[in-house]
Amino acid sequence: MTATLPRPVHRAAPRLRRDRRRWAWGLGAAALLVWSLAGAGSSGGGVVNPGGTAQLARFAAAAWDPALDAPYLGVLARSVLVTVAHAAAGTALALVVGAAGAVLVSRAAGGRRWAARGLLAVPRGLHEAVWGLLLVNVLGLDPWVAVLAIGLPAGAATAQVFAALVDEVPREAYRALLAAGAGRPAAALYGLLPPAAGGLLSYAAYRLECAVRSAVVLGMVGAGGLGYQLALSFASLRWAQVWTAVYALAALSLLAELGGRAARRRLAAPPPSPSERRDPVLTAAAAGTVVLVGWSAWYLALSPASLVSAGTAEQLAYLSAAAWPPATDGGLLRTVAGLAVDTVQVSVLAVAVALPGALLLAGPAARAERPTPARRVTGALVRGGLLLLRTVPAPVWALVALFVLRPGVLPGALALAAGTLGVLGRLAAEVTEELDPRPRAALAALGARPVGAWLYGVAPRAAGPVLAHALHRWEVAVRDTVLVGLLGAGGLGALLATELATFDWAAVTTVLAAVVVLTWAVDVVSDRARAALR
Amino acid sequence: MLRLAGVTVRYGGTAALDGVDLTVAPGERVALLGASGAGKSTLLAVANGSVAPTAGAVRVLGGSPADRRVRARVGTVHQSLELVGRLRVVHNVNAGLLADWSAARAAWSLVRPQGLPEVLAALERVGLADRAFERTERLSGGQRQRVALARLLVQRPDLVLADEPASALDPVLADRALTLLGETAAARGGALVAALHDPALVRRHCDRVVGLAGGRVVLDRPVAGVSAADLGGLYGAVP
Ligand SMILES: Nc1ncnc2c1ncn2[C@@H]1O[C@H](COP(=O)(O)OP(=O)(O)OP(=O)(O)O)[C@@H](O)[C@H]1O
Ligand SMILES: [Mg+2]
Repeated sequence: MTATLPRPVHRAAPRLRRDRRRWAWGLGAAALLVWSLAGAGSSGGGVVNPGGTAQLARFAAAAWDPALDAPYLGVLARSVLVTVAHAAAGTALALVVGAAGAVLVSRAAGGRRWAARGLLAVPRGLHEAVWGLLLVNVLGLDPWVAVLAIGLPAGAATAQVFAALVDEVPREAYRALLAAGAGRPAAALYGLLPPAAGGLLSYAAYRLECAVRSAVVLGMVGAGGLGYQLALSFASLRWAQVWTAVYALAALSLLAELGGRAARRRLAAPPPSPSERRDPVLTAAAAGTVVLVGWSAWYLALSPASLVSAGTAEQLAYLSAAAWPPATDGGLLRTVAGLAVDTVQVSVLAVAVALPGALLLAGPAARAERPTPARRVTGALVRGGLLLLRTVPAPVWALVALFVLRPGVLPGALALAAGTLGVLGRLAAEVTEELDPRPRAALAALGARPVGAWLYGVAPRAAGPVLAHALHRWEVAVRDTVLVGLLGAGGLGALLATELATFDWAAVTTVLAAVVVLTWAVDVVSDRARAALR
Repeated sequence: MLRLAGVTVRYGGTAALDGVDLTVAPGERVALLGASGAGKSTLLAVANGSVAPTAGAVRVLGGSPADRRVRARVGTVHQSLELVGRLRVVHNVNAGLLADWSAARAAWSLVRPQGLPEVLAALERVGLADRAFERTERLSGGQRQRVALARLLVQRPDLVLADEPASALDPVLADRALTLLGETAAARGGALVAALHDPALVRRHCDRVVGLAGGRVVLDRPVAGVSAADLGGLYGAVP
């Protein structure tokens, strides 16, 4: 009898192979970050200005003591209506533009996406405030200025995101429908849209919230409403009034957010209904939205006639002639190039600061299924903090940062990081909320610690979407850098403001072209990075 | 091993389980039978603590299924597997060791897989050693089912719960999967409770049959005493 010994298996042992492409992207990101940090450090001299701490303290203290006198509240209430009307009409325009644009740029539509992408890069490359300043020169002081300034860039951004959301849906169902003989539109309707619907609606709600912020920013550059009041109070150092305006703004954002969330919940988990009737709550919400947009158009006295009047056409023709060809003298180009480098560094640092913060806060900010009272309170506090961070416009954060920091890359980066953290924290929380809870529950059921269950059950699935959001915020940060500059913090924005003030249209074109090219380049890089993440 | 007393689970108006009494002793291999929607998955979820009963009491291995140390000794193959597609196979399998690991070790393992010999041995037993470092979402349905099985093997549980663990496997692999589950339970003197649909598998691998209908236990006897008529009644007559 021969004993059989277990023989070693002579097969090439499988090895862990890293995904080279993703490592390359990771290294690239690290290099970009180091370069930006070097830029922030090299502004020379100290970066801290200790003289401003007293002012900062007074500003912070006023948070607990906002202005509540009747006349100011009355003024504020009227500004709120203007801002709401701007935001609602702007969002409506953005969603229409976005849905149409998404069809053009989505991968499902195939072919012409690079051309379409290029077309969208122009409207979305420019900040709302820049659009506002340009449109004022064409339309004069018309209510359309604010609506178009919100709707055009937001529409282009929406198109991009709608397309990305549809592209990120797993393709199996869609391909199965195509294989079964369905046409492309029908297959998309049944195989791509339903899984993406939650994300699309969520983004539409987020767009409304953004529109509130855009409307405020436009107010700061002169379109009236809440932003105008905020700028006025800030300029006259009335901190108590600033905070009242900020709280009003936060309340508005919260309303937009809660409305969107409720609608999203309702769509995701409709109450059981035996009949074929539509959900009455959703129907009412849709009708309410239509009424709100109608009211906005009426309240602002939007008239299509002013868009196509002879005066408008004449002004447009004059500006086009003055703005072309763009200025190309060496001095200007060198200045623009230098400022463009600053802009990239500011935006990279903003995202680099915001992303870890967002990841840390996403857990507490996400709504738990069965929360304890303590969990409920921390959740509400974190969500409130994030709301405040993203509600206060970046230029205000920049002014606050300038109390204690010397002008340069750092204050700009911190100001943008605040808003980016506010948005990214919320988006990351939503990503984790929308994940199927069962894999994590399965790990909890086999005795994993909460951290372990999160690392294996949640993090791998959330990482891709959160990084995709972060990359998208990077694009937004580039545009916001221009806005912060426009209101005085230097950079490309300040240059643009000077040229607009002196009606140097040829130079304006040069700077705008630089901004558009920069945003477009960032967009291409971030799109490639997102593809590597899939 | 496992004792349910008067366990009821309600989802809104419907009762998924309705006053279930069930005791499983060490060494037993119990087949859970019942039509779709009868409550098999719910019963297993109550046993591993992922669903808390609306009424009634649950004791598992002498403790509460909410206790992490008890949970570490209960292994489950879930009906929908609950693997993370984006993770590599090794990581989904070593997740079975998470109960023993510190948070730091769990995190480090995502970079450099820990417990690799055990994980590869478990994958060898389910015939997937050569796919260890692939992304789980690239595997076929039956292969994924075997990954979930490997996760349970590395966990070395005392009580093995399996929810249709062979539904996506060919007959040979299905037989092998149930053998592995039975061996895992037996290795530590534990018990196996498996929701199954295939009478042949039930006869070969189990010694007791518990039949559920409409959330109630309607049949409970040794496998030898179960007739074809009993099974017919179980699947035909949902109240
Ligand atoms: N999370 C849930 N929410 C609402 N109802 C549920 C939930 N889980 C199960 N149910 C209901 O409880 C009942 C029993 O479900 P269960 O999953 O236990 O059945 P099952 O016997 O495992 O069926 P199958 O063989 O199809 O897997 C079903 O009517 C189901 O609709
Ligand atoms: Mg089931």
